[in-house]
Amino acid sequence: MAEPLTPVPAPGETAIDLHKELAETQVAEVLDELDRELVGLAPVKTRIREIAALLVVDRVRRRMGLTAETPTLHMSFTGNPGTGKTTVALRMAEILYKLGYIRRGHLVSVTRDDLVGQYIGHTAPKTKEVLKKAMGGVLFIDEAYYLYRPENERDYGQEAIEILLQVMENQRDDLVVIFAGYADRMDKFFRANPGFRSRIAHHIDFPDYTDAELMAIGEMMLKSLSYHFDAGGAAAFRDYIAARRKQPHFANARSIRNALDRMRMRQANRHFAHPGLVTLDDLTTITAEDVRASRVFNQDATKPD
Amino acid sequence: MNVLDKKSPPGGKRSRYAAGVMEYREMGYWQPDYEPKDTDILAVFRVTPQDGVDPIEAAAAVAGESSTATWTVVWTDRLTACEKYRAKCYRVDPVPNAPGSYFAFIAYDLDLFEPGSIANLSASIIGNVFGFKPLKALRLEDMRFPVAYVKTFQGPATGIVVERERLDKFGRPLLGATVKPKLGLSGRNYGRVVYEALKGGLDFTKDDENINSQPFMHWRDRFLYCMEAVAKAEAATGETKGTYLNVTAATMEDMYERADFAKQLGSVIVMIDLVVGYTAIQSMAKWARRNDVILHLHRAGHSTYTRQKAHGVSFRVIAKWMRLAGVDHIHAGTVVGKLEGDPNNVRGYYDICREDFNPVALEHGIFFDQHWASLNKLMPVASGGIHAGQMHQLIDLLGEDCVLQFGGGTIGHPMGIAAGATANRVALEAMIFARNAGRDLRAEGQQILEDAAKHCLPLRQALETWKDVTFNYTSTDTPDFVPTATPGF
Amino acid sequence: MRVTQGCFSFLPDLTDADIRTQVQYCIDKGWAVNIEFTDDPHPRNTYWEMWSLPAFDVKDAAPIMLELDACRKVHGGRKYIRLSGFDSTHGWESVRISFLVGRPQEEPGFILTRNEGGGQAIQYTLQARPLPGASA
Repeated sequence: MAEPLTPVPAPGETAIDLHKELAETQVAEVLDELDRELVGLAPVKTRIREIAALLVVDRVRRRMGLTAETPTLHMSFTGNPGTGKTTVALRMAEILYKLGYIRRGHLVSVTRDDLVGQYIGHTAPKTKEVLKKAMGGVLFIDEAYYLYRPENERDYGQEAIEILLQVMENQRDDLVVIFAGYADRMDKFFRANPGFRSRIAHHIDFPDYTDAELMAIGEMMLKSLSYHFDAGGAAAFRDYIAARRKQPHFANARSIRNALDRMRMRQANRHFAHPGLVTLDDLTTITAEDVRASRVFNQDATKPD
Repeated sequence: MNVLDKKSPPGGKRSRYAAGVMEYREMGYWQPDYEPKDTDILAVFRVTPQDGVDPIEAAAAVAGESSTATWTVVWTDRLTACEKYRAKCYRVDPVPNAPGSYFAFIAYDLDLFEPGSIANLSASIIGNVFGFKPLKALRLEDMRFPVAYVKTFQGPATGIVVERERLDKFGRPLLGATVKPKLGLSGRNYGRVVYEALKGGLDFTKDDENINSQPFMHWRDRFLYCMEAVAKAEAATGETKGTYLNVTAATMEDMYERADFAKQLGSVIVMIDLVVGYTAIQSMAKWARRNDVILHLHRAGHSTYTRQKAHGVSFRVIAKWMRLAGVDHIHAGTVVGKLEGDPNNVRGYYDICREDFNPVALEHGIFFDQHWASLNKLMPVASGGIHAGQMHQLIDLLGEDCVLQFGGGTIGHPMGIAAGATANRVALEAMIFARNAGRDLRAEGQQILEDAAKHCLPLRQALETWKDVTFNYTSTDTPDFVPTATPGF
Repeated sequence: MRVTQGCFSFLPDLTDADIRTQVQYCIDKGWAVNIEFTDDPHPRNTYWEMWSLPAFDVKDAAPIMLELDACRKVHGGRKYIRLSGFDSTHGWESVRISFLVGRPQEEPGFILTRNEGGGQAIQYTLQARPLPGASA
């Protein structure tokens, strides 16, 4: 455990200003940044604030000698793809670092392939290697349930699971593990591996974005690239979101990003197709034409844009 | 007639090769439009012309006299590609805050020099011109060597990296001490000092510059007793130890004989003095590389020409020549000790020794970018009037890749030589530990020393003995620069 | 006797908290930390046995302290154990710091053998005395 960032209180300290305590850690800035950076996700943001409050109080309690235990901080982030789990995990690492619960504050993001080996004797060193890199920070395991393959009793994933469990219990001072994936599959995974369930302190569910939120996300992404919709383009994109959601492999914000990449390509080709000069406005505007050429609008489409 | 007072002849420009004398600036040695080539050797001189002598003409004369010119026009120039061979003064700046002195920048074509020869290089650049009458004083401030030329030199025989690997000593400055008294000890007594100092915790002991082969101690006696001391100290500590056996002698044959004997006895290092000359230094560097022996250079005599700002050769030039020539250790100043050494200049010398690239740093006296083309790094040695109580300053100023030599600061310890050595080693290790642990040596150095002394009586005694010793005198040699570029004229 | 190799042998033996500061220093410099052990402390014995591969890409000292603990379980109090920081930067490509973090309970030291050659010259041979109970 890292040393507390603030000095030990004077003996006889009886009253503590929690807001001042929070301000000193600069965690509020991370929370504000999270608000700015992520559209919507109100329940997630509330949960993060709750956890941060708990950790601040816990820190004060430890300083006052009310508790000595390092709290369990491992978490599970459930939700569909593109709902902001990785971004929130990055901010969570920052919060834990600023509060002194982890020493470095970096995030190591892995999937099954990074942990599980191909042959006998391969998995343990591989898993340990990843754990070593993550120590001092947060290990983010995406689609964690792939570690567990009950259909294959000799699957090496089991070995990785055992090492993970051991480290999650014994090295609580050294790293925090966040499991991420679809809610239903994660639930099954935890039921089959009760060891994880009991070691996870915080579950956070990431809801799908509403259409309006996805529109706001799309506009924010465009703005960061110095593009914007004209009125027709915006209307078309609203229609696009509604249509895309009904199609397979919908991945919330990630689908929006992919769609925008394609629309920028269409815009560029549109300019080449029309002879003449382009203006600054032409270069920055996405129009209805760029949006509506998507296959998402084709009723017969079986594949998404 | 004063050559340099001569005005252009009436009736217009005369022919370049008409017999007689003409101004150096007219002969092609002043070319303000010249763009130095990457392959040119560059030099900057501090020129102080005699009263009434035009600075540009004086600077051109320096270029001329250090390359192809003589005092009069010679028709035999026309048998050569003389344009190429002429050194070109391309810039003259007044020295900031020093009326009457000028920095003259001169470019020399690579073909003017023999590959891999400091003797040839120095004969060209400083051979003749320093006695030139129209100048009151002249100082070679800095030089830039093109990579093509650097590559013609061997460079340090061993280098910092391999020296550390060979000694199995990493992460801290090496510790040394010069055996004192400088003169008079017999071989047997001399070896006692070596043994005590090495056993007590030093990595090296050192012969002084004038310990050669005198009536009180002939060189073979010294070598035999010193190596007995080294071997015993190694057995007592499990560390590799060394003593710089000074092989400086009257002839090259004598030096080789002494060096061979040192090697035969198992010494990891031998030493020479700068006064043996550049050719002997290069010969010994080649010997050292052939024989896997570290080569220590004592800069004996350098202050006769490096110390005065107006006249001579800056030590930074000597440091560059010695890195090319191929020595492994060079005395480069302590900043805080008893010998001359302005902190900014010393920083420049250390960078010249240790970096693979030196960018221009006028505040450290470095006038040119210098690429070292992966030539080995040269270990700077800090020696002269330093003691354990300055450990925090020394490490803060000089870093860890250097040798700290505490002669008096070891042998003068009230409880004996081994105690003095231990005090220095404990202070050094405590300071490196503290620095690595993130402590601020400038602010906390004194405290770190006192804390370390709690578990080390010899260090407590050393701190007490030398607590008031400092050498706070103004340096004579300091860089002259203004933070913004000086306009040429 | 006390073998005084390494950067900190003249200080009191380092605590784990001490070691951690130096390991973190290496990591922050971008050096790979290596754990090695030996029963032959001869100063020219360059290649001590490696406990594991050098730790590349770690951010924190914790994993090295874990490995060091594991190494001590096997060799602690019986062999010499050292940590080193390796710098792969061009022009160095070598060890930048090395220090002992474990010693045998009893350090038997070295035998110095003198072989008389011709004249007064002596060839010195240094040999580590075997550690009690250590093999290979």
